[in-house]
Amino acid sequence: MPSLDKPLATSPSRASGSGPWLRAELALLVFAALACLAFQLTLPLKEPTDEDYRRVAELLAREARAGDVVFLFPWWTERARLFLPAGLPVVGYLHDEADPLTAYPRIWLLSAPELPRNGNAALARLFMPERVADGALQRFGALTLSRYRNGRSRPKLFSAVEAVARAHVYLEGADGVRTDCAFNGRWHECPGGLRVGAEWHELLFEPRLCLYMRPPGGSTRLVAEFPEVPVASDLLLEGGIIWEHAPKTDVTPLEVGVDEVRTLNSIVTLSVPGGLEGMRHVNASAALGSHALKLWTRSVRPDAREACVDLTSFAATGAAP
Amino acid sequence: MTVASRSPSRVDRRIALGLFALTFLVLFFTEAPVGFVRDESVYFAAADAMARWLHLVVQSPARAFTDATLSQALDFNHEHPMLMKTLFALSSILFHDTLHWMRPAAAYRVPAFAVAALIPALLHLFGSTLYSRKVGLFAAVSFYAVPRQFFDAHLACFDVPIAAFWLLTVYTFWRAQTDRKYWLYCGLSFGLAVATKHNGFFLPFVLCPFALYRAEQVTRKRPAARGLAFAFVGLYAAVATLFAVLVLTWGPSGFVEHFAIISPQTALGLALASGTVWLLLRLHQEDEATFRSLAPLGAMALLGPVIFYAHWPYLWPHPAERIAWYFNFHATHVHYAWLYLGTLLRQPPFPLEYVFVKTALTVPLSLLIPMALGLIAVLIRGAVALLPRPSTALPLPSQSEVLIAVNALASILVISHPQVPHFGGVKHWFPSMCFLALLGGQSVVRALDAALVRWPHFTALGRGWGFTSGVMGVILLPAVLQTAHVHPYGTSSYSELAGGIPGAASLGMQRQFWSNNVTGVLPYINEHARPQARVWLHEVAGLSFRDYQVNGMLRGDLIPVGGPEQADIAAYQYHQEFREQEMNIWQAFGTTRPVYGLYLDQTPQVMVYQRP
Repeated sequence: MPSLDKPLATSPSRASGSGPWLRAELALLVFAALACLAFQLTLPLKEPTDEDYRRVAELLAREARAGDVVFLFPWWTERARLFLPAGLPVVGYLHDEADPLTAYPRIWLLSAPELPRNGNAALARLFMPERVADGALQRFGALTLSRYRNGRSRPKLFSAVEAVARAHVYLEGADGVRTDCAFNGRWHECPGGLRVGAEWHELLFEPRLCLYMRPPGGSTRLVAEFPEVPVASDLLLEGGIIWEHAPKTDVTPLEVGVDEVRTLNSIVTLSVPGGLEGMRHVNASAALGSHALKLWTRSVRPDAREACVDLTSFAATGAAP
Repeated sequence: MTVASRSPSRVDRRIALGLFALTFLVLFFTEAPVGFVRDESVYFAAADAMARWLHLVVQSPARAFTDATLSQALDFNHEHPMLMKTLFALSSILFHDTLHWMRPAAAYRVPAFAVAALIPALLHLFGSTLYSRKVGLFAAVSFYAVPRQFFDAHLACFDVPIAAFWLLTVYTFWRAQTDRKYWLYCGLSFGLAVATKHNGFFLPFVLCPFALYRAEQVTRKRPAARGLAFAFVGLYAAVATLFAVLVLTWGPSGFVEHFAIISPQTALGLALASGTVWLLLRLHQEDEATFRSLAPLGAMALLGPVIFYAHWPYLWPHPAERIAWYFNFHATHVHYAWLYLGTLLRQPPFPLEYVFVKTALTVPLSLLIPMALGLIAVLIRGAVALLPRPSTALPLPSQSEVLIAVNALASILVISHPQVPHFGGVKHWFPSMCFLALLGGQSVVRALDAALVRWPHFTALGRGWGFTSGVMGVILLPAVLQTAHVHPYGTSSYSELAGGIPGAASLGMQRQFWSNNVTGVLPYINEHARPQARVWLHEVAGLSFRDYQVNGMLRGDLIPVGGPEQADIAAYQYHQEFREQEMNIWQAFGTTRPVYGLYLDQTPQVMVYQRP
């Protein structure tokens, strides 16, 4: 057990340990301090300047084309948004390395490689597969820019988000009775404060432009009916719960589905249970040709079922992007 | 038993005074750019409420002390005691309202600077007496070389003050073992601690084992004193048992409902108080050493609750109900979402290692290493001492060293409990950081002294002080640079181990806490917002918006709105848990492109969007 303190003439700091260990300790302390000093003094040299970003922006303004996207690395280097050309999509969010970036055949990888803990391994493991370098890496001060062909992109024939203005939106009871929602140029406004429109929302850190379709509750469905959906390959149905509502568990599942209008047959459904974060994806097949399809959401209790959905129809494999 | 006084030398007292003054001045002259965290504006408003009530006490005392007036006037922010808020109020009345010497925010903050400045002074007094002057100086300087601690010391909040009063209580407890009157100071200091923040109520649990152990040691050959010491312990055990029986019998709510002036609870309280006084008087006559061991506990038990109740007028009309509410509020505190290594922590259980990792990633590495080495050295020596045959190579840790080490871990271990809320960065375990600073200083000086023994020619440099101060300067410099670099955005700071602020962003750590960084974009908004523009400052509370305008940091014509839909200009605070709200801006403004931002070492902190 610890002894009672002796009169404190003897400093405990001098009383403990042996010389070589303590001199090693001093060496460690001084070495660590010098290393810290070097870190503090060199960090600004590793950071991109405004001029670096402007030069990148000038190049992208010249060379980027429709269907291109800028992918930020590390993901949080969003200062780039201040400089990059307006209209050029920029992707950067936590855990984005595995994003297939399906909509974009070309990716500009804008990287600040010298920044500390930049996680190159995750980039190599999750981003690089199916991406082919398309030109040489270019350096702009502390930034590098490299272009890739995206092997995971798929040409779209239809997107519910892009076609929402042409949709017929209504509430549909279990008995089939419909209540139409009026389009105000921005949203389809439905009874009970519900609305359907293309909106930006966050799903498990990912900024996502999707159809906001909070279900009305009970057995009633909120339906967006699209008169002409071209099908040349498969359909992709996506659905998820927005933001902080997703982790809640005392909720009823969100059901999302696609029905054929003419036959009333269900083509695909997915369910988002309470506590599931992020977007769920389900691929489905349908007969080739043009279809009238109903995209719907439903949940017994609508509390915290802030639904974000999308339906995409892809071009046949091998089609030009 | 006669033990040498632990009184510091006159030189060290002067150094402590100098450290106090220097810290106060540094805080005062660096406070202007520090923004108002969400809580701080609430405390400003609570101080205003206290000031209004104090005016009422002077003007209409009969009305000021009625139940209705107390309940109404001091209801605001009654989840925290009033000591610091009362000081903020008095300072505001004096320095702003009366003397017009400073802007309102600075006037509120002056008492916080004074209390914060106690920490370096106390660290020097403690360190110089327990270890050496060098240790005291290093500990004192290093405490505010930690960016988050330096930042928080500017705020009219409670986290640095509770660290100061925790340290003061431990220091007076330690002095009380050898010096007269310090048992009384310990009780008073404990009262200040519990009147500052609820953390203070953990102090008796930390200090009690030391007092009892010492009493056991000093009474071994004094049977009369030992009997009184047992009676002292028995009294507390009996009262605690009876209180527990009452709680079990009536349930927690019944226990509160049955609390009255004439009630078993009051009788037990009086029995405890009178028994404590009687036993301490007997001990004082019987044996001074035993008295000094136990008197601090008695003083804490008596003065703590009295000060807690007396300083807080809101409690006066309904003490049992309101104190019960207070404890229940903190025992069932809500959890805020918090990003940790790429995962949003929303609900308990939280990772057990969280506090240790967060400390390691935020305390400058050149300070963290000596802190860790100092703590580990004491723990190893303590563990070795517990072996059946302790090694003779390692000296046993003294009680004082164990006291320092236990206090270095106490707050950290309390917050580490997986069910305890983990938001707020590192501020909730600031009391531990005081003692880690002492251990860090001890580690540095221990190594320096060994070097001076090995290379005595270094002592030629100013009797060793040249070498010592040079090495200490090298160790402190990166931390000081980091603190200066990140000021006034201290809650965004991360250490070299994290890779600095950008490294922490890549690690997926919380970017900031909590809304004060908006000061980085206020000049832009002031310059670019049109007259009477509607402004949404995300996460900035309405009170803070008002305070920025009142303090001349935001144009007075700008109109606060509650969201981007109504706004002409919006400033989003980058929090991963609030990212949806940035999407709301994109949606409302029809653009994903900010026009300006505060970026610390490239990391987005606050982004400004303007409606096209």
